Amino acid sequence: MARVTIDPVTRIEGHLRVEVEVDNGVIKDAWVSGGLYRGMETVLLGRAPADAFYVAQRICGVCPISHGHASTMGSEAAMGIKIPNNARIIRNIIEGAEALHSHILWFYTLTALDYVDVVSALSANIADTYALAEAAGTSTADFGAIQKRLKGFVEGGQLSIFTNGYWGHPAMKLSPELNLIAVAHYLEALEMQSEAAAIIAVMGGKFPHFMTSLPGGTVWIPTEQKLDDIYFRWQKVSNWINGAMIPDTIAIAAQYLPLAGYGKGVGNYLAWGVYDDKSMDPTKRAMPRGMLMGGLTLTQPDPAKIKEYIDHSWYESGDGLNPSVGETKAKFDAYSTDAKYSWVKAPRYDDKPVEVGPLSRMLVAYVAGDPDVKGLVDFTLAALGKAAGAAGPLPVTALQSLLGRVGARNLEAAFVAKKMGAWITELIDAVKGGDSTYFVDKSGEGEGAGLWEAPRGALGHWVGVKGGKISSYQVVTPSTWDCSPRDKNNVRGPMEEALVGTPIADPTKPLEALRIVHSFDP
Amino acid sequence: MSHEGHYREAHPLIFVVTHWINLVCMIGLAFTGFYIHYPFFAGFMYGARAIHFLLMFVIIINLACRIILAFWVKTANQLGTRETDIDLKNWLPQKENKYQFMETVKYYTFFRNTRVISAKYGALQKIAYLATPIITLFMAYTGFALYTPAHSWAIWPFFAAGVSFFGGAMGIRIAHYFGMWVVILFTMVHAYLAAIDGFKPLWGLIFLWRETPGDEH
Amino acid sequence: MAQEARAEFTELLAARGVSRRDFLKYCGSVAALLGMSEMYAPQIAAAVGKLQPALWMAHGLCTGCTESMAQVDNPDVPTVVLDLLSVNYWETVMAAAGTQAEDNVAATVAAGGYVLIVEGSVMLGENGNVLRIGGKPGIEELKTVAAKAAAVIAVGSCAVDGGWVAGAPNIANATGVSKFLKDSGINVPVINLPTCPVNPEWVVAMLVDVLLMGELADGSILKKLDDMGRPKLIFGSTIHDNCPRRGHFENGEFVVFGSPTQAADEAAGWCLYQMGCKGPTTQTNCPLVRWNHRSSWCVEAGSPCIGCGNANPITGGPGNWFDASAPFLTRHADVRLPGIGGVQPSTIGAVVGGVAAVGLVAHGLGSAAKGRVKGVPTETQKVHDAKMASKGGDK
Ligand code: HEM
Ligand code: HEM
Ligand code: HEM
Ligand code: SF4
Ligand code: SF4
Repeated sequence: MARVTIDPVTRIEGHLRVEVEVDNGVIKDAWVSGGLYRGMETVLLGRAPADAFYVAQRICGVCPISHGHASTMGSEAAMGIKIPNNARIIRNIIEGAEALHSHILWFYTLTALDYVDVVSALSANIADTYALAEAAGTSTADFGAIQKRLKGFVEGGQLSIFTNGYWGHPAMKLSPELNLIAVAHYLEALEMQSEAAAIIAVMGGKFPHFMTSLPGGTVWIPTEQKLDDIYFRWQKVSNWINGAMIPDTIAIAAQYLPLAGYGKGVGNYLAWGVYDDKSMDPTKRAMPRGMLMGGLTLTQPDPAKIKEYIDHSWYESGDGLNPSVGETKAKFDAYSTDAKYSWVKAPRYDDKPVEVGPLSRMLVAYVAGDPDVKGLVDFTLAALGKAAGAAGPLPVTALQSLLGRVGARNLEAAFVAKKMGAWITELIDAVKGGDSTYFVDKSGEGEGAGLWEAPRGALGHWVGVKGGKISSYQVVTPSTWDCSPRDKNNVRGPMEEALVGTPIADPTKPLEALRIVHSFDP
Repeated sequence: MSHEGHYREAHPLIFVVTHWINLVCMIGLAFTGFYIHYPFFAGFMYGARAIHFLLMFVIIINLACRIILAFWVKTANQLGTRETDIDLKNWLPQKENKYQFMETVKYYTFFRNTRVISAKYGALQKIAYLATPIITLFMAYTGFALYTPAHSWAIWPFFAAGVSFFGGAMGIRIAHYFGMWVVILFTMVHAYLAAIDGFKPLWGLIFLWRETPGDEH
Repeated sequence: MAQEARAEFTELLAARGVSRRDFLKYCGSVAALLGMSEMYAPQIAAAVGKLQPALWMAHGLCTGCTESMAQVDNPDVPTVVLDLLSVNYWETVMAAAGTQAEDNVAATVAAGGYVLIVEGSVMLGENGNVLRIGGKPGIEELKTVAAKAAAVIAVGSCAVDGGWVAGAPNIANATGVSKFLKDSGINVPVINLPTCPVNPEWVVAMLVDVLLMGELADGSILKKLDDMGRPKLIFGSTIHDNCPRRGHFENGEFVVFGSPTQAADEAAGWCLYQMGCKGPTTQTNCPLVRWNHRSSWCVEAGSPCIGCGNANPITGGPGNWFDASAPFLTRHADVRLPGIGGVQPSTIGAVVGGVAAVGLVAHGLGSAAKGRVKGVPTETQKVHDAKMASKGGDK
């Protein structure tokens, strides 16, 4: 038995430490520790609901839009506000743009380096690379120039952000040519994520941390020129996702099929749902609300069944509280995997750990029978079945794995890209139809919750408003669900559980563990 | 109603003028200031700022004149008399004011029933009047500091110190705003006292330069 | 000499597959951003020799500033991290993790001469344990790394003074890098680049201007900073002074929440002052540089500026932009009164004014009741004189 510690875990949002126990090249136990406490929930008390919208986004600079929207929705629910239809569509587009941005950035910039060996790309044969790209149906680039630039860079001896990566690791399986394609798309992805982010900037002022979805609706008013602008940018990103990201995903996944064999985790999935339709009914959202506990039977989640445990977290507030009455009182004593070891609380649904994220959303939508999601998933499973040499497509349960978690995110990008086109058209029609209401100025009192989805999973802001000010505020982020430590009953959190059973070829270079961690996009 | 006479010597014409200017400027600055703070009707921002900027120079020049004049204009040294002395002396606290201070407080809090003998201005009055140039200068200082973060001004560091003292551009703005309330409070009390101490003779003198003879003296 | 450096640099660029023309084009845009003319571009280029080592450290952050850096296009991210700097540590994007990542820091610190870029608040709460890095309080690593740095760039309002994390009641005890280093006795020049997140254009402008042009070595950079360590060219004028909506401000045309014409007035680009715009109290060049490839900025999108660039590195925590500007939709920030919390200055003014008015009316009624309206006799002898007289002195 050997303890292996990864601290800092890099290529994530925030500070994370992972400790695993490796026995005979396989992880036997795992502890995930969140390293940062800032106190957003306390800072927001006594502030105006609009201030909460602006500031709550700063919980996460990668998914500020979702936090902003969840905060605004929580305040709106508390104050009894129903937003105008135009505001709904505008929020969907902004939210969708964030998802595209986030998924592209996550796959290429954050995760790809776990699968793509940048150094190996140097030995790629350029002609073969073009041939491979064509065969895989993915977009080409000036592979020769990129390889040359890479060479100059490596020979310069200053490797910058690539210094000390796990290059040449035995778990890296791609051919030099596929590596070179991925590196080329790594560079393109930077431009594409930023194009998606620019859609948010046009509609929200800037990204990260946008400005316009205030409680009551939106203060962004579309003009013809701005609508053209976002349409053009959406088209560019959407084409790239379908022309590069999806084929890349399938080509890379085909080389990593064994990854469908581990990393399942807790097998419970929750999605609050995201992208409202006209009815504002959460079960009718484009990504619908739903829950799968243990098997693939769809149920509707009841927020009252959530409890947050702090038995292994550095807090001294009440244990096992529902977020609507939650407390947050920090108290550090010592780091010990046997006692307290994280700044993350442990939320449980019906006392069970639950995984959230694109995989949860895609599974819920798949089981709910969404035709677009079904089409994308079935197509991919068929392609991978073929790559595996199997008789038919891989089973849906193959998604409940490391490979599935990575793939689901990319497939979701394609789904959202398609929907966004429809929303932009819907907005243009609404504006042309003469609907000019974007904002309702109303205040009220009460308690409410904004239950929504960040790109990385189910997100809830529970907000109380009294006398125009925030009287209570609790947030349960996706990473709180996924990166949670053990709970009162010593049950592992989803990421901890997914780590167990993962093979580790070289304990000094725990690449496989990183893959699991990154698959949750914490 | 006071029983002393109110003679022009108490308030020479030039001070009627400076006082008028004070009054008009303060009302104008407070009104435009309020508007700048919250434009409660449309279309006047340029005007409000222009007037605010104009009046701020007028009030500063007026203050300078008033202070200079205090050094050589003579004003009555007592209530109800035509005997005069250098105005500055009537302004600055004199030794005996020390003894009058508590008595004056007692009078206004109803703990004594007779007026306190005083010089032209009583102890509290002196404090209040000496405070007016200070608060005006405070308004000028904070006002210029928020005029623009004009680093090009040679004397900007002089204002920058204030900006950081009040914790930034917002802090100095709030200080300026509170200063306005101090002016409003002063004017309220000041006009009230002038009214209960004898509306007709006092307001007549200060605004219209009209004399009222006393009962006795 | 300069010729030589230039030739050497051209070679370096060529080796990296960057044409000299491309590079000059990029330098030209940075120069323009700094208000310099394009003719300086060759000098900038000549100043670049070996890649400047840099460490990008994450403290109490939301990763927004890193995200923001990914939104820069001129130079784009690959140019920054491959051709301008050797960023040996940058948690969010670096390949290495765990031990290997820590090794990168150790090696860079040992070699010295690096630029330290800090993102996120300095976290002091629970003895620094509210942020744990590598099994220790984050501030310990910060001290080690800052002590040997050639210069520190604090990116984003959080790193400048603690940011929103330091907002009342500052529960996790956050502060800024300048203040923390000063309090710890570490003397390194700190360049502060506030706003939440940082605008990436300013970061690259600083990197080129300060580091590559050698302005750090000869100390000339310090003259370009204001008393808060901010580059004057970027933070020297208010948003209000450069705002495209300024004309409507002067005309007194304001967008008002909840007014029936709100959407129409916004579409007409009216001023957001009455919605609480903090443009008049915020010094950044957001209206000029804008955000995300200059595609828009807060006010252009219809939201009042919330003053996210108001950070005070000198005071640290209490100077944070949240408390300096909130409530965002009102003209003035709240004043915090002990026991009550945030109160609007206008409320305080009105309450004090109202109390005074009531007091005066009461006093007037009291005077009338006492019969003072008819006139009050003046004492015949001063009380003090009377006392003195009874003691037989002071005539
Ligand atoms: C309704 C408004 C006002 C009334 C009825 C009023 C009335 C008076 C009266 C009766 C005096 C005494 C004159 C004397 O005996 O010498 C006086 C003096 C004075 N008032 Fe006012 N006043 C008003 C507004 C103001 C304002 C707005 C200011 C400005 C800040 C001001 C500043 C002064 C000063 C500094 C003096 C001292 C004498 C001098 O400067 O010549 N007053 N006022
Ligand atoms: C004596 C010299 C004064 C100067 C140099 C001055 C200057 C200024 C300036 C430059 C502004 C900002 C205008 C803008 O941002 O466009 C301002 C605002 C203001 N001034 Fe003055 N002012 C002076 C006196 C006064 C006085 C005497 C009052 C009130 C009695 C006053 C009340 C105000 C108020 C309420 C504001 C609005 C503050 C805000 O909410 O931002 N000012 N002043
Ligand atoms: C014959 C008697 C008096 C006359 C003619 C007189 C006249 C005045 C005048 C002209 C003012 C200036 C206007 C004003 O500031 O209100 C004034 C203010 C004042 N008086 Fe009198 N007064 C007399 C007696 C008193 C007495 C006996 C006291 C106190 C015990 C007193 C206390 C004050 C105070 C405190 C103020 C200044 C308030 C302020 O300006 O904020 N006065 N008086
Ligand atoms: S929108 Fe803001 S910055 Fe622009 S003119 Fe109006 S107040 Fe000034
Ligand atoms: S305009 Fe204001 S709120 Fe927007 S980024 Fe600039 S300083 Fe921050």
